[in-house]
Amino acid sequence: MEFIDYYKLLELDKSASQADIKKAYRKLARKYHPDLNPNDKDAQLRFQQINEAHEVLSDPEKRKKYDEYGKDWKHADQFEEAKRQQAASGGGFGGGFGGSGQSYSYSGSFDDDTFSDFFEQMFGGRARARGSHRGGHFKGQDYNAELQLRLSEVYKSQKHTLTVNGKNIRLTIPAGVENGQTIKIKGHGGPGIQGGPKGDLYITFNILNDTSFRREKENLYSTEQLDLSTAVLGGEIHVKTFDGKVKLKVKPGTQNGAQVKLKGKGFPKYKRENQFGDLYITYKVKIPTHLSAKQKELFEELKKSGL
Amino acid sequence: MNKEDLIPAQEICVRYEVEYQFVNSLYESGIIEIVKIEETEYIHYDYLADFEKMIRLHRDLDINLEGLEAVNHLLKQIRELQKDNRRLRNRLGLYE
Repeated sequence: MEFIDYYKLLELDKSASQADIKKAYRKLARKYHPDLNPNDKDAQLRFQQINEAHEVLSDPEKRKKYDEYGKDWKHADQFEEAKRQQAASGGGFGGGFGGSGQSYSYSGSFDDDTFSDFFEQMFGGRARARGSHRGGHFKGQDYNAELQLRLSEVYKSQKHTLTVNGKNIRLTIPAGVENGQTIKIKGHGGPGIQGGPKGDLYITFNILNDTSFRREKENLYSTEQLDLSTAVLGGEIHVKTFDGKVKLKVKPGTQNGAQVKLKGKGFPKYKRENQFGDLYITYKVKIPTHLSAKQKELFEELKKSGL
Repeated sequence: MNKEDLIPAQEICVRYEVEYQFVNSLYESGIIEIVKIEETEYIHYDYLADFEKMIRLHRDLDINLEGLEAVNHLLKQIRELQKDNRRLRNRLGLYE
């Protein structure tokens, strides 16, 4: 564990007044506040550091202790004890301080409870308990993930298992999710800070269209080729829908580009069981390019008749 | 709307030690939504995190309500940009 220079953290010198400390804290807090730096772990750590520095330097008692012992903070209690003995015996101050027998491992890190090990050692656990940390509870970091699915997959509800930060999350994706849609899974984000709630997990769906249909929300669109004779005389054709082929009556005199609606043959409506959008079919009338002699003769006759 | 997800605004004021005016101003700024059921005003649970964030910014950084409105708007833009950035990175990863 290393000494933390709180003055340096707040970019101050030791003679800083309380007003200077407040001003410096505000300036840096505005820069590194976790709410202003979403998903930025460095800013979060920096904010914890300046918060701790402010906690110590804005409290005259803590600041005095910190200033008095500075880098010798590890031995603050021994200094205090020696002072007491000195006062009691009236003798000189001596003896020095060797190793206390305790071994400290370096840990400059701040845990979820905000205060560093240095702070804990110097000001004790109670300081943390009554610490007037200004930030209050912070919700943990929100996680974001992207899930790629095929359009043919999201026609039906899907069960998926995602691994987020080593944890498996079983997820049911309702039929009809849209491309770019984001769903929130409460409490599956990062851990809260200072007892705050866990963050949330946001999953954005990236849906690749692997079908011949065009999708707009719950409606589907497709194009169907129509023989010239069927377009003119009408008839029956088989058209492809998302869940199989259906027979469709074509009205006589159907024009190129005409559109028909197949009600309920579209895509499932998101989170509405057994409700579907519609399928819109646009007819593309096929003009024959290679006619047999007989067909050509018939067309000539049609032409003569004024068609 | 499920009533279990609604928290009375009055309770929120007591719990977070804020005046009703503060809650109402956040509502008027469009930062949170208030639902009125039989003369009682509620805040939906989904807005609680945003509400807490605004309280922290107000208290920690002395940001006034106009400032909170601007911050909220900019944070939304950051989130959208981060989302776009992530999506583009993912897409780029497919070609690398």
